[in-house]
Amino acid sequence: MICRPNSLILLFASAGFLSAQEKLSFNRDIRPILSDKCFSCHGLDAKHRKGELRLDLPEGAYGKGESGAVAVKPGDVTGSELWKRINLVADDDDAMPPAKTHKTISPAEKLTIKKWIEQGAPYQKHWAYEPPIKAPIPAGSANAIDAFLLERLQREGLSFLPRADKSTLLRRVTFTLTGFPPTPAETDAFLADNSPDAYEKAVDRLLANPAYGEEMGRHWLDVARYGDTHGLHLDNERSMWPYRDWVVGAFNRNLPFDQFTIEQLAGDLLPNPTADQQVATGFNRCNVSTSEGGAINEEFIFRYAVDRTSTTVQTWLGLTGGCAVCHDHKFDPISQKEFYSLYAFFNSTADPAMDGNALVSGPVARLTTPEYLKQTAAVDAQLKAVEQKSQEAAAKIVYVDPATVVPLPPAQEQETMLIEDDFPAGAKHTTNVPNSTKWVTAPEFPVASGQKSFRISGTGVTQEYYQDGAAPIEIPAGARFSLKVFLDPANPPKAIMLQCHREGWSHRVMWGDDKAIPGWGKPNSGERFVAGALPNAGEWVTLEVPVEKLDLKGGDKLIGLAFTLDGGTAYFDKLAFLSFSDDAHNPSKSLQAWLAPKEGKDTPGLPAEINKLLKKTPAEKRNPVQQKQLLDYYTANVCTATKSILGPLTAEVDKLKAERKKLDDTVPVSLSMKDMDKPRDTFIMVRGAYDKPGEKVEPSVPKVFPPLVKEGRANRLDLARWLVSNEHPLTSRVTVNRFWQQAFGVGLVKSTADFGSQGQPPSHPELLDFLAVSFRESGWDVKKLMRSFVTSAAFQQTAAAPADLWKRDPENRWLARGPRVRLEAEQIRDNALFVSGLLDQTMGGRGVRPYQPPNIWEPVAYIDSNTAKYKADEGNALYRRSLYTFLKRTAPPPFMANFDGPSREQSCPVRERSNTPMQALQLMNDVQHIEAARAMAQRLMTDGGATPESRIRHAYRLVLARDPRPEELTIVRTAFDQHLDAYQKAPAEAAKFIRQGGSAPKAGLAEPELAAWTLISNLVLNLDETVNRN
Amino acid sequence: MDPLFQNHLLQTRRQFFGSTGIRLGSLALAQLLGNTTAATGANTTNRIQPGLPNLPHFKPKAKALIYIHMSGGPSQLDMWDYKPELQKYYDQELPKSVRGDQRITTMTSGQSKLAVAPSLFKFAQHGKCGRWVSELLPHTAKIVDDIALIKTVHTTAINHDPACTFVMSGSEIPGRASLGTWLSYGLGSDSNNLPAFVCLTPKYPLTSNGQALFSRMWNSGFLPTKHTGVVLRGAGDPVLYLQNPDGLASTERRHMLDALGKLNQQGFDRIGDPEIQTRISQYEMAFRMQSSVPELVDMTKESPASLELYGDKVKESGSFAHSMLMSRRLVERGVRVVQIMHRGWDQHGNLPNDIRNQCKDTDQGVSALIQDLKLHGMLDDTLVVWGGEFGRTVYSQGGLSATNYGRDHHPRNFCMWMAGGGIKGGISLGETDDFSYNVVSDPVSLFDFNATILHCMGIDHEKFTYPFQGLDMRLTGVEPCGPVRQLLA
Repeated sequence: MICRPNSLILLFASAGFLSAQEKLSFNRDIRPILSDKCFSCHGLDAKHRKGELRLDLPEGAYGKGESGAVAVKPGDVTGSELWKRINLVADDDDAMPPAKTHKTISPAEKLTIKKWIEQGAPYQKHWAYEPPIKAPIPAGSANAIDAFLLERLQREGLSFLPRADKSTLLRRVTFTLTGFPPTPAETDAFLADNSPDAYEKAVDRLLANPAYGEEMGRHWLDVARYGDTHGLHLDNERSMWPYRDWVVGAFNRNLPFDQFTIEQLAGDLLPNPTADQQVATGFNRCNVSTSEGGAINEEFIFRYAVDRTSTTVQTWLGLTGGCAVCHDHKFDPISQKEFYSLYAFFNSTADPAMDGNALVSGPVARLTTPEYLKQTAAVDAQLKAVEQKSQEAAAKIVYVDPATVVPLPPAQEQETMLIEDDFPAGAKHTTNVPNSTKWVTAPEFPVASGQKSFRISGTGVTQEYYQDGAAPIEIPAGARFSLKVFLDPANPPKAIMLQCHREGWSHRVMWGDDKAIPGWGKPNSGERFVAGALPNAGEWVTLEVPVEKLDLKGGDKLIGLAFTLDGGTAYFDKLAFLSFSDDAHNPSKSLQAWLAPKEGKDTPGLPAEINKLLKKTPAEKRNPVQQKQLLDYYTANVCTATKSILGPLTAEVDKLKAERKKLDDTVPVSLSMKDMDKPRDTFIMVRGAYDKPGEKVEPSVPKVFPPLVKEGRANRLDLARWLVSNEHPLTSRVTVNRFWQQAFGVGLVKSTADFGSQGQPPSHPELLDFLAVSFRESGWDVKKLMRSFVTSAAFQQTAAAPADLWKRDPENRWLARGPRVRLEAEQIRDNALFVSGLLDQTMGGRGVRPYQPPNIWEPVAYIDSNTAKYKADEGNALYRRSLYTFLKRTAPPPFMANFDGPSREQSCPVRERSNTPMQALQLMNDVQHIEAARAMAQRLMTDGGATPESRIRHAYRLVLARDPRPEELTIVRTAFDQHLDAYQKAPAEAAKFIRQGGSAPKAGLAEPELAAWTLISNLVLNLDETVNRN
Repeated sequence: MDPLFQNHLLQTRRQFFGSTGIRLGSLALAQLLGNTTAATGANTTNRIQPGLPNLPHFKPKAKALIYIHMSGGPSQLDMWDYKPELQKYYDQELPKSVRGDQRITTMTSGQSKLAVAPSLFKFAQHGKCGRWVSELLPHTAKIVDDIALIKTVHTTAINHDPACTFVMSGSEIPGRASLGTWLSYGLGSDSNNLPAFVCLTPKYPLTSNGQALFSRMWNSGFLPTKHTGVVLRGAGDPVLYLQNPDGLASTERRHMLDALGKLNQQGFDRIGDPEIQTRISQYEMAFRMQSSVPELVDMTKESPASLELYGDKVKESGSFAHSMLMSRRLVERGVRVVQIMHRGWDQHGNLPNDIRNQCKDTDQGVSALIQDLKLHGMLDDTLVVWGGEFGRTVYSQGGLSATNYGRDHHPRNFCMWMAGGGIKGGISLGETDDFSYNVVSDPVSLFDFNATILHCMGIDHEKFTYPFQGLDMRLTGVEPCGPVRQLLA
């Protein structure tokens, strides 16, 4: 449905205008007009202001503009320049608004402005920035919500419609609170309960149902932009689902909304935060992130912080902060500087600019279970015992340091293999030119050593490399590379190159034409060391080069290697380090050699006490106990010879450590927030360009709001507490409005995401404020709030209304009839699973993959993405609640997208409700719905009695919680007879029709009959009444 | 289904609904859209996908748009922007004065040398207009007199994701409405049997570097989602969930839909919600698509003359040639916008080889589409647009040799072209410097470019807004821009 906001403003503005004697309210009647037509040139934005006039403040409007005239003279219409200008003919150069803005002021609006000036042109701060005040509850109903609504309705000469029938009501409230329909048993119990509080009892039952948290959480996850992939470029999977489950749990245990806010924005900054509280901070790790080659770190750090700021501002303040990224907000009092002061709260987060396309990147929260703690405690105890045994054994060893032997033992050469017959285990090697490289074997190809050699053949620069997957390789002291090469005499390359990745790829050695392989590395440096001419072609030659020539040294760790050639064909074999083992200088053999480089330094990886000893206590000052401590550690953990004596024990230690790691790997992790130790400086980014820092700013909040009082630098926790402080005018308003929207289909402020001056004014300002204050006073009790909504008479009215009411108030803002809205994407699928009995109600865990038509992911996915190919799960995973469906953000599941589910690339505080042929096709033909129809048909045949009528009645009760009307019964009965006749004539078709999806049809049922009932179930599941909350 | 029977069923349904099923749907929809003229009966057409009542703003030259998006960034230097002088600079450092302080991606910012790589490909003049075209495009060279080439389009994004989002939605940040959805929203569709905005994602050479496509390139963003582009697919159902499941005959589906229509009508009588009427009409459309889409994809009745234009691959479902022919068929049936997204143009290395394959895959199809539209008398009111999300650098990424080079992303200038309805053929607009590195004259921003498209379709881009989150959103952003007059016929 398309919203028509302007006509709506008029609807309410004109309502004020109609009652001639009524005093106008600036915020209700005037501000919407000025904001829409005038503020873009005469508002807050100083840079684009025209004629030195601003109309958003009384000082501006009452003072003289550039022309010398006074825009607004209170009480004097004809003396007011504004009145003059808006009444000029459109082609007059002085006419306002100027023709080129394509804005016009309607006659009704002009009259409203006239009246306002006559009444003295009073100003108010924009309503949303004034603190909410609880107005007295109007007479008319004991229920505050109803009282406020009725007061408004009376002005329209309307009242509430009667209560909906009990069946419709129960289905409506059950969907609202749990996202499911009621079961027939629940319906029966409710219909049979004639006590005055039968409805309230049903509501309390629903609020206690765990499905409540799932339904509430679903809405919040739209706001939080939760997804299961990174969202940009490769769009790989990321581990965020524990956050999703935290949200569900928080609603179920009715976590007060202030705490809900604090934990999500700053759970990590609470004293001794629990793992749960850290998971909660995933709210602001849900933003899309990238690791695209070529992306610039600073740009993305900037973007992530802007996203987090805008999302936070929108979620809690209901304001669009995004505009102020580039310029002062034209309509709302957030200056660019103030935006960046808010941004400063989020600009020091410790997550990396590049997510590495990894499942987990940056700070994470780990969710340990009691079972895990028990198991790890057991492993740790065993580990301790074995380590102790190992130390005791080590103590018995007599160790002589070769460095203390006279004369010193001679040096010996040794070889450390890097690549022989394969790349190092786990290495993800690849090439820049497909099909140009491969491992080859003798006798077809030359092989120098082992079974294989590596052949590269290309026309230009051709390379095979890896930089992921393999364990880092430590360079032995004094090592040199040794590489065997065979050049094809028929097609020799211009040059060959060996390249190493330490903290970058800038370590290269090449042989051959120094002009070849152009552009790679600075000549005459370790980035591009030319070791000599090409070796002779047609024979194996061993090339050697000291690692220092490549700017490398002993102890460096290599994480990647590459073989490269420029044109031609070459074979590479046996890449190794050659080094001299000099026992007296070998840290693996000599304690002195091992100690020397660590003296007085911090050595990460050592046990804390050993590290401290080496760092803080000079060798000459160590007492015998300390010396022994070092020796024991060395012989048990470092010295090759003594370690080998301890071999079996060490192996056992390793095994236990691996076991421990396996346990750790089962622990769910979730991306979480953390700040860097040293905060980044924050600057205004000129025109929103990440590389144009301007004035420096500190974390603080916009001036229009109550101040955030804090000694020293404020952090996210201060911001969160400020948002939920008693004085804050927006958080509670924005929050109750969003929940109201959930219950009633449209917010009291329709522009859920914009409470600013360009947003819509509330339809019932007093009610909104009453709810906002009550909600805060209740201790931010969300269940209580939801309960108050659904127990109001307004919510319980029938939605069946006379035609003129639909016409007068198409969006049902007045609530002169009950709320009727189309079910949302997840509810539609969940409903089918629920009524068919297929649903698996397991809660939580990693996203599952139900049916999806082919070619949803594939055509849009990057080839190397780990979400490039969709493979549906099997078994129960096919029937889980839609909340648990894996959500790939660049290609969301069609059952979601087709029914207006957002892609979750950015925050979505309100979904569209479209009505399309593609939706019809999906409900008609999607295997999920056909399978559900067949499962439902089985229920009809087994539980629905013997006659077609009783089964049709059962179908209606399952799906709509009501009996069919006689005329409906006739239509469905006729359709059934037709289908049954057709399928009895074509049993082979029936057999096919009932075999869709992963579950098998129930045995023992006549197939043509089951097929006919399947199509009848499909019919009932496609009813407009079924896909709506009526 | 037997066509006679199908017709009978349609008739029955019409009788059931009193007047015509379409009329009923169109009224309900029109009411929802606030289309008062249609609702009061002043507009007598039976369009079930009407546009806004105040659109078009003026008489449009083009009724439909076919947008051929070459995803990845095709090299302007090797296809259109002829720089004969560049040979002199082979393997020389790109002069600092040319490069300025422009940011370059981290893929080449670490490179010690930015060596100029002149195009390997021969250029020759074609057509009456004498356009210089590379040998890579022998077929497109035949239609240069119909084309308005723009050599000076520029963008702000240097990476695929933001650049693709920008070129299609007017913003680097996801969440805006795409071009096609704007047109569907504003102009509606002349087809009652097919959606207003259709996308095609043809196959591309397997050896190419295929960057991802993003559904935001056809998403409706803040616009109502019913405008979202419908992706016709090369494999499986051309439209999702189009086919009845196995074992469900069309006749039974018809009976089921008849019962559904009656029950929903009763629901409407009881409740009064106009959405129910919309739903009734959408089930009508769904049923119509079940037969119109198979008819659409059935190419057996195409004339041999048309088929020959597109070459052999036209018979292969999901090929680029096939999607070109499909575009014509869609527009012929009243579809407003067809957007084809061909991937594989991201040639950081081995450009000469890869671009040859890419052009071989697309050149004939593009040329055939223009000729075929002419053949059917459709080119005059169909706007065809060709281009990528950015261009490529004059300097080589990685090694440069006499036969091989690569090129990095280049946002500062790239080539796009338009042809057909509203466009002056045989012209070339804008000049770049000797290195195709900077715009020298007549820069065209993507906002100008999109404003031009809207203009050809009868829309004033400044008046075409949608209120969202307190702003009047526009496809063409907030900076000054407008249709490029030189391009207009």
